[in-house]
Amino acid sequence: MKKIPLREQAIAWGFLSPALLVLLVFGIWPIAYALYISLHRWRIKQEAFIGVDHYVRALSDPGLFNGFKVTLFYALGTIPAEMVLSTGLACLLFNILRGKGFFRVLYFLPYITPVIASAVVFRTLFSPHPSSLANRFWVFWGFENQRWLYENKSAVALGLKALGFSTYPAWVDTFFPSLALVSVILYNIWVYVGYDTVILLAGLSAIPRQYYEAAEIDGASPWQSFCQITLPLISPTLFFLATVAIIGTFKAFNHIYILRTPGARDTTDVLSVVIFDQIFQNHNSGYAAALAFILFIAILVLTLVQNRVLGRRVFYGD
Amino acid sequence: MATERQSSRGKRWLTYGGLGLCGVAAGLPFVWMLLASFMTEGETLRRVLLPEQVQWANYVLAWKEADFGLYFKNSLIIAVMQVGGTLLFSLMAAYPLARIPFRGREVVFVVILGTMMVPEMVTTGPNFLLINWLNRHSPIPWLNNWPALTIPFMASAFAIFLLRQFLRGIPGELWEAARMDGAGHLRFLLQIALPLCRAPLLTVGMFTFIGSWNSLAWPMLVTNTPEWRPISVGLQQFVSEAGAEVHLQMAGAVVSTLPVLLVYFLIQKEFTEGISLSGLKA
Repeated sequence: MKKIPLREQAIAWGFLSPALLVLLVFGIWPIAYALYISLHRWRIKQEAFIGVDHYVRALSDPGLFNGFKVTLFYALGTIPAEMVLSTGLACLLFNILRGKGFFRVLYFLPYITPVIASAVVFRTLFSPHPSSLANRFWVFWGFENQRWLYENKSAVALGLKALGFSTYPAWVDTFFPSLALVSVILYNIWVYVGYDTVILLAGLSAIPRQYYEAAEIDGASPWQSFCQITLPLISPTLFFLATVAIIGTFKAFNHIYILRTPGARDTTDVLSVVIFDQIFQNHNSGYAAALAFILFIAILVLTLVQNRVLGRRVFYGD
Repeated sequence: MATERQSSRGKRWLTYGGLGLCGVAAGLPFVWMLLASFMTEGETLRRVLLPEQVQWANYVLAWKEADFGLYFKNSLIIAVMQVGGTLLFSLMAAYPLARIPFRGREVVFVVILGTMMVPEMVTTGPNFLLINWLNRHSPIPWLNNWPALTIPFMASAFAIFLLRQFLRGIPGELWEAARMDGAGHLRFLLQIALPLCRAPLLTVGMFTFIGSWNSLAWPMLVTNTPEWRPISVGLQQFVSEAGAEVHLQMAGAVVSTLPVLLVYFLIQKEFTEGISLSGLKA
């Protein structure tokens, strides 16, 4: 390899240093610091070293377990629906000639809008008040008013109730998301479908037209060309979007913090919200750090597994 | 032939019908937000869809009494500082990663990308303690002041990544030619690379702007007086305290949405181009 002059090296590091300093101090160092904090009793300031006590406590804390469960519901409720909807929309958009730009801007608006503002709007749309838009829509189809964001019972349990079952086993509420979480999931889908659609549209435009022409000559149906050409060729984009979405589930905070309600809190609080409560309300930095470190390890493992399992199936061409 | 034409027309109706339905779903909350912001409190509670008289007073109330004017100004200052810092530092960092093959480049790049994976909530607690320490030991206060709200966000891995991808696409001959003319790295970056990076810079700027405007948890921790409180925290507190005053909540939501939408419409073309770039395999 050619030797790079010292001057060039110095310039490179000089250019890098401000950004690197910010990222190291506020992005990397906190992970090591979190580990250190988590091993101490630590409220406003540092107290005694207590070893892994916080981790022992965390593993038997129903809050942590519940946070993981809600995060899992949230991921399963949002990601597949977003992928299917946005793929469909992108295909529809790709095939039209007029109004493409208009729809693209329109679908993108929810993603651009400040989360706080749109979450405040959804809080009123999905309020238990009979005049809320969600209830008006629901009643229009002949159903009863619902408590939406304030409802801690699972959507399945409510369905059973509507069908006339007055009692149901307790696990129905344990193993299904609450109606409050379903409302949060609907909000999330509303925000991200447009973003995914725009990115998928770019992926579709990159597919050479000839593939489709050849398939048509061979007598392939539109559905066949979709499965054999479109899907494999946009799979890298879908994989990218799924990865971003999974990391997003673990990052989700702002809208859930706005949309949480007193009655249904336990059923909508994802891990980030659980951690924030420990910092902001309980001022327990030590325990919060332990929870944060567990979250970090979970994401690390998940990303590695995802890259191993899904990454291999993605078709990148040759 | 006739049936074929008919089926293609039917298909077009279906296509536009599906797109239109989703468009309504995407746009409806905006329409409602705008309408409700012009209603009286009574109208928001009754089953009214349109306000009888447009209540501009809601905006005056929200702006003055709920202090949205101050919060709005704070958010704007914070956003401008974050966007300026991020663009400058990220472009500076992206340049050597793309064009100077210095020792340790791969490692630095992987470390930078690694920070993208770390959720905000993992770093929030330790960073809060760090800011408390800085607050005590630095000449200017960090809490309830701009440094805590802006400095930790002045570089972003995503920005560096996107700009690096773009800078790598600039042909090497341009650099050779510039060097022949006696230009150094700084001049090449400012005079040749910078004007070419318009779309990615606008994209990164827009993302930083949105991120800054949205941030809630961090400003809640580092501001406990209204002096530097951003609009996100103001709106959150207003919602949790004001209870049912839906008309004022919606006026606040409209006010906080406007700047972002305005910037988006101004740079819509470049932004769409930029984010489409981010999804394609590098």
